[in-house]
Amino acid sequence: MTLQVTGLSKEIDGRQIIQDINFEWAPGEIIGLVGRNGVGKTTLFRTMMNHYVAEAGHVVVDGDDLQQVPLRQQQLFFIDTQYNFLGTYRLWELPRFFSAVYPQFDEQRFTALINQFKINANSQYRRLSKGMRALVNLILALTSNATYILLDEPFDGLDVIVRENIATMVIDEIADQQKGFLISSHDLNELDGLSDRVLLLKDSQLVHDYNLEEIRARAKKIQLVLRDKEIPAVLKQNSQLIRVSGRVLVVVIPQYTPEVDQELKALKPVLFEELPLTLEDLFRANLAHDTGYQMMK
Amino acid sequence: MFRSKIDQLIWQRHRRMLFGIAMLTILGVVMTSLIGLHSVVDDGGTHNLVSASLINQWRPYNGNYFTAYSMWLPFAAWLAGLEMMHLDLSDHFNQFLFSSGFSRKRIYWSKLKVAFGVLLLLNVVATVIEYLIYWIGTPHGYTWTIAWPGVLTSWLVGAIMSVGLFAITWFAATIVGQTGPLIVTVGGFTFSLAGFSGICSSILTGETFHLSNDQAMWVGLVAWLIAAIALFIWGAALYQRLSLEHNGEYLLFPHLRVPVYIVFVIYMTLMFSWSADGLSMVIAFVLSALFGYAWLWRPRLGEMCHQWRERKQG
Repeated sequence: MTLQVTGLSKEIDGRQIIQDINFEWAPGEIIGLVGRNGVGKTTLFRTMMNHYVAEAGHVVVDGDDLQQVPLRQQQLFFIDTQYNFLGTYRLWELPRFFSAVYPQFDEQRFTALINQFKINANSQYRRLSKGMRALVNLILALTSNATYILLDEPFDGLDVIVRENIATMVIDEIADQQKGFLISSHDLNELDGLSDRVLLLKDSQLVHDYNLEEIRARAKKIQLVLRDKEIPAVLKQNSQLIRVSGRVLVVVIPQYTPEVDQELKALKPVLFEELPLTLEDLFRANLAHDTGYQMMK
Repeated sequence: MFRSKIDQLIWQRHRRMLFGIAMLTILGVVMTSLIGLHSVVDDGGTHNLVSASLINQWRPYNGNYFTAYSMWLPFAAWLAGLEMMHLDLSDHFNQFLFSSGFSRKRIYWSKLKVAFGVLLLLNVVATVIEYLIYWIGTPHGYTWTIAWPGVLTSWLVGAIMSVGLFAITWFAATIVGQTGPLIVTVGGFTFSLAGFSGICSSILTGETFHLSNDQAMWVGLVAWLIAAIALFIWGAALYQRLSLEHNGEYLLFPHLRVPVYIVFVIYMTLMFSWSADGLSMVIAFVLSALFGYAWLWRPRLGEMCHQWRERKQG
């Protein structure tokens, strides 16, 4: 079982929003989707879900192109947080719609989870707080029993308790390897603890597909103070600058080999300290402009 | 009521609004029937609610006191076309439908099926109610006599009118993405149809075709039905390519802007200058062209003027 996105492109008003997006996704995976504001994360979701008609490319589920076999779309779940029809309906009415679309929709579990989180089933969706709406969206996603669940900014603007609830529910759900999550978020710390893989969107394209475990095995984040003001070649060639504070440099070295280690230590830095590598560091390393180097030059 | 999942989903979604339209229509039918019966004037002539000369004719009953096919039914069809297509767009139900696993073709024809099913039922119920009111409420000394030829013709003509009006609002709601401008567009077009049918009738009964009024009516109805079917098929083709990023814009299909503009200018010029002199035609053409441009391209004149003044002031 797998979902493949191949060459997916979408143009809006003459502007290329996403271009030639390719990736694979299997149940059991939690994939983070990161990128700066306006880079096309939501457009990617909407195009995958057939809200937008793609200029090119395909979404293939278990070998079937969704355009050719639309029924496969029932294996994907996505609630557009900006544009959805739920607003005027009361929560108890929602299962009627979702059970017509998702054959495995678990109405009992829906009711149980709504009660568990003490949400009034007689409330209109639009009357709920932002956090409650996010919870209801996730409850619908989980109880739909769709294989591939797309969550767009599920942690946006939520308090720590709701965030924890959402993260816990996602992790619990993934345990039996029957479902996969694709989560776009600006909350990199939250994604860091959840994701196995991270897709990085930049300039309308998917520029990196990180496996976080592999990255952590070979990359290092180093804080160092050098004796000279000049940036040594080893850093220019092998590292990405995260932060400059006076003479203190924080760099990410994606391929931290013994040779690099030797070269760095040969510089006899005043300070040399390894820091924990986070998703935020990868994000900064790839998306922040290298103005730090420019300034120091 | 509906067997397939997609029909059930569409019904689930639209039942309240369709019920509202049905209630409004039945209320209108009851009101019109009662007013019709209470406005009967003893003019000393024949005391028939349906003109005696019409009873056995293959012509619709459209008398002062009794209309065999209530005018509320075409109005209900007009509203239902608008509701079925536009509400899903404005309330973002299309997002749910498009990712529901049902092909767009199935969704489109299912919506049509549900709407027609409800309208058919409404036609039957409203007509039964109307006829019951006339049967029970015919004033003392009057007769309400109807015969199959007139009744069937009335229903046929009325049903074709309803289908056509439904097709107009349905198609307009498929291509227009803003609620207010959509209502103005279909409202204006619907009202203009009275003038347009007059023009068509004068052409058909004129020197070129020499048709009688009855023949012209049937030709017009057949053309109306063909146009409605064409709109349904064209709508289905467009729906297949509907991409929701244009939701909220006047035209949901930007490539239709120029064709719509051309049709609008020709139609409006024709409407306002038919059988008038050349100067009237030129004025009608220029005004239609300007209005059509402003309506479809929406140049932000105020904003442009403000920017120009800002630039001028330095």
